[in-house]
Amino acid sequence: MLISCNWLRELIGTKLSPEEIRDRLTNVGLAVDAVEARGDDSVLDVEVPSNRGDCLSHIGIARELAVIEKSQVSSFKFQVKATNGKTGEFASVEIRDPDLCPRYAARTVRGVKIAPSPDWLVKKLETIGQRPINNVADITNYVLHEFGQPLHAFDLARLTEKKIIVRRATKGESIRTLDGVDRKLDEQMLVIADAKEPVALAGVMGGELSEISNLTTDVLIESAYFDASSVRRTAKFLGLHTEASHRFERGTDPAGVIAAQERCVALICELAGGVATEDALDVYPNPIETKAVALRPERVESITSLQVELDEIKRILTGLGFELRVKEASVLSFTVPSWRHDVSIEEDLVEEVARHTGYDKIETSLPPARHAGEYHSSEERKRALRLALISQGFGEAINLSFTELTDDFDLIPALNAETAPVTLTNPIIEEASGMRRTLLPGLLNSIRHNLNYGIRDVSLFELGRVFGSNEAGTLPLEHETFALVATGGLLEANRAQPARELDFFDLKGAVEAAVDGINLPPLSFAAATIKHLRPGQSASISANGGRVGSIGRLADSISAEYKFRQPVFVAELDLTTLLEVKVQPVFYAPLPRFPAIVRDVSLLVDRTVTVAELSKAATDQSVPHFVGVTFVGTYEGEGIPDSKRSVTLRFEYRADDRTMRDEEVDAIHWPLVETLKERFGGEVR
Amino acid sequence: MPDSVTFAELKRRSDEIYETFNQEFRRFERFSVDRFYAESVPNLIRQLQLEGYSLTAAEDALNDLTTLRTRYTGKKSDWAAAKKLIGRIADGLQRASAGQHLLFLEVSMTDRLENARLSLEKTIKVLRTARESIDVTIPGRRPQPGHLHPITLMRQRIEDIFVSLGYAVEDDREIETDFYNFDALNIPEGHPARDPQDTFYTTEGFALRSQTSTVQIHAMQRRGAPVRMIAPGRVFRRDTPDPTHNPMFFQVEGLCVDRGITMAHLKGTLAEFVHRLFGPETKTRFRPSYFPFTEPSAEVDYSCFSCGGSGCRICKHSGWIELGGSGMVHPNVLRTANVDTSEFTGFAFGLGIDRTCARIYQLDDIRLLFENDVRFLAQFR
Ligand SMILES: [Zn+2]
Repeated sequence: MLISCNWLRELIGTKLSPEEIRDRLTNVGLAVDAVEARGDDSVLDVEVPSNRGDCLSHIGIARELAVIEKSQVSSFKFQVKATNGKTGEFASVEIRDPDLCPRYAARTVRGVKIAPSPDWLVKKLETIGQRPINNVADITNYVLHEFGQPLHAFDLARLTEKKIIVRRATKGESIRTLDGVDRKLDEQMLVIADAKEPVALAGVMGGELSEISNLTTDVLIESAYFDASSVRRTAKFLGLHTEASHRFERGTDPAGVIAAQERCVALICELAGGVATEDALDVYPNPIETKAVALRPERVESITSLQVELDEIKRILTGLGFELRVKEASVLSFTVPSWRHDVSIEEDLVEEVARHTGYDKIETSLPPARHAGEYHSSEERKRALRLALISQGFGEAINLSFTELTDDFDLIPALNAETAPVTLTNPIIEEASGMRRTLLPGLLNSIRHNLNYGIRDVSLFELGRVFGSNEAGTLPLEHETFALVATGGLLEANRAQPARELDFFDLKGAVEAAVDGINLPPLSFAAATIKHLRPGQSASISANGGRVGSIGRLADSISAEYKFRQPVFVAELDLTTLLEVKVQPVFYAPLPRFPAIVRDVSLLVDRTVTVAELSKAATDQSVPHFVGVTFVGTYEGEGIPDSKRSVTLRFEYRADDRTMRDEEVDAIHWPLVETLKERFGGEVR
Repeated sequence: MPDSVTFAELKRRSDEIYETFNQEFRRFERFSVDRFYAESVPNLIRQLQLEGYSLTAAEDALNDLTTLRTRYTGKKSDWAAAKKLIGRIADGLQRASAGQHLLFLEVSMTDRLENARLSLEKTIKVLRTARESIDVTIPGRRPQPGHLHPITLMRQRIEDIFVSLGYAVEDDREIETDFYNFDALNIPEGHPARDPQDTFYTTEGFALRSQTSTVQIHAMQRRGAPVRMIAPGRVFRRDTPDPTHNPMFFQVEGLCVDRGITMAHLKGTLAEFVHRLFGPETKTRFRPSYFPFTEPSAEVDYSCFSCGGSGCRICKHSGWIELGGSGMVHPNVLRTANVDTSEFTGFAFGLGIDRTCARIYQLDDIRLLFENDVRFLAQFR
């Protein structure tokens, strides 16, 4: 809001420079964003907090400045020159909906001459960025910026039956507002109507029908107090933000209705001629009661640590318009001024005292120590997980929680397929209309983004929540997952050429590293059909026997949708469930004293026989001195039928008390290999 | 009894062998420098390097030299055969002379062979070292590491600071009831924040949390007073994405409720925080403000980390950067969380992680935070 320094000086004889005014106002919570010189005047752009509607005027700002400067707002006199008759003789006012309009005052001026405003008025309005229109309209605008009370002038002749009816609009009603736009009204909107139809949107904008024109001779000046939330709703609904609605939304002064109107009428008589009525037709069926708030002076210190003298407390509050009711020292009871809708409890008064004493006067100290600090119980493991993944070359991504809804993906088991998505009633990005059920689409979008910029080697992971609907009326499911995507080559730091192309096992390795990083038992992987993965290169992932996710190469159909022309590998795991798995305690195992003897064996088996099956079958034999098998490699291609592959495993044997002899090892090794051959129909190459 | 040999015969024979040796050794002559003179071998190597003498040539030369040595001084050499003839000279005086003559020639050969061998070996060592030298400026070999998201880095820094100050880190739901998102925070019915233009709602009527203060209410209800906690997390507001807005961002809300807590403690805590985050010379400024959940309320600024307060582009020439909102917890909020307001007071504060990131890294378009461009992510550590 723009404030003229010259105007302020008229209201309060301040000697402060504009920059000083800026700093002082900022210190009491009225931040001045800019000071701009305009001619012989300076304009302050004041950022008024949303609860301080009372400061949206020159008098409001002057009041704060007076308390800062320990001076007073000068009381200026104005008098309506020519009066004749009662307003009730020329118009009538009826409030049908007093809940939305507690007070409405009308007053008429007859015989005005509509003309341009005098220079001083034009200049004043232009200084604060207002466009002059004609004398009557400018005067209402002037008083708005002086008092903060929006006023409206109707052409009395154009009000059917000279009636003012304040009521909710009826269904199907509409109004053409002053900006020339036809607006459909609903039954929640308060309008000012004449005997026939709406003539103004209450507190927001007048109607074209009753607008002041050059032919106007008699005007009706409206000064009212409208319900803040009603005006806010109407303005927001119609997308119509005006100087008037801005103030009504924040709460105007119900007691100041008459004074502002008097000021306006006096100026009209002075500048546009005419004869005013003697009184206002003031409809105020249920006067708003003044509030009283008690303040225990010691609370100022116990809340802010500021030590403020009792007299200073009283000076600040009375300067701001609070009236001390009970003069008993231990509890001060103050009447809250009618313009301060933001004050209702003791703490509000403490804030008034504190901001006018100065927040900079508050000392700086740490509270005495009490608790030991603690991270969130999962944080240590999440940090370890993140570290494991970045050291595997994966960058951390963060995507929006809302996405396009799709059924193309298998979900983590915690959100089973029947779990409906959580949808938004008011998405901001039209396609992103639901809460994500999987992190994968977001990450695939990130890959696409990178590919679009010519980056083909992309490895990303994300930790985040997925959502699913619960039973009606209960809060949705929120589940933490982590997902990985990888495409392109295996990059080496500072080297132009990737070491090689990534494949399934790079992604699987990263998943294993992550789980290793948080000290969980190894995951198990089993070939599985997963909706969004390519058959033959997809697996389900389990921990402790329970399924926690999936991994594999993105299905061709989805790849095509994203326009990927290179393989993309994806995995998603249920982090919430993984974090519930107990961390394995570590116990030292004695180191073997004698070396192990190893035998590498290549078995030619059907492609369907897995390394896991072979290893398990060997281990299950419980052969003495057999330590275990380790994977060496596979071979397929030349010399091997398509249906088969060669799997090389390293068998390890050890005795606790001696180095085993070759013959001794052979005697147990070959029978073991023989059982595997028989069991899987393989042969040794 | 073998035939006897005369001195003259033996001398002629040995001189012949010696002469052919000299001819064959000529190609190694340059290597036969005086090994007892410290500079001779290094000088030779320098000379060879200047000539571009190769490691392979030196290795071949050494092999040839070894062969030569065997041929002339080995057990089966002509020279060894000649030496055996000394015993067959009948005349004792002549035998002694022959012995002396052959010894003289032999020492001449072995000494030069040895000089050449030593210098060649040294040459090979030097040339090999030179050839096996590496360019130490070539990048080290390691996998390309990934990087943590700047928001994670900032959140972890903030958590570390507050945990060291005795705060517990809490988290809770991201989809909330109106009660936790608004009522409990003293945001009345009809307040603009509740409007569907500002807050996301699910079709079931739940709100996407618009601040992590919701976590504070849950935590206070669970832990009771006194309590010190921070709640970092995702929040949602219905802003159209533009360079300074995202419909989702990350926030940290802090809360300290105890007996005797005042605004001095709020100032002290946030001053300590900015010292640790931006450096000990950072100043703080508190300005009165308005938030429904605090009373009194304060806007907190810190002195610009870039210009130190003199004004620059980052602080929009004001010297100050906005940190966030704060204040003394509104008694309605404390009461909702079942905290006895006659016994306890508390302060609360909130700041945007994304915004702080944007300031620190001088990011002029925060939409980049959620695009996950790997060139962007790789910049932060
Ligand atoms: Zn700066």
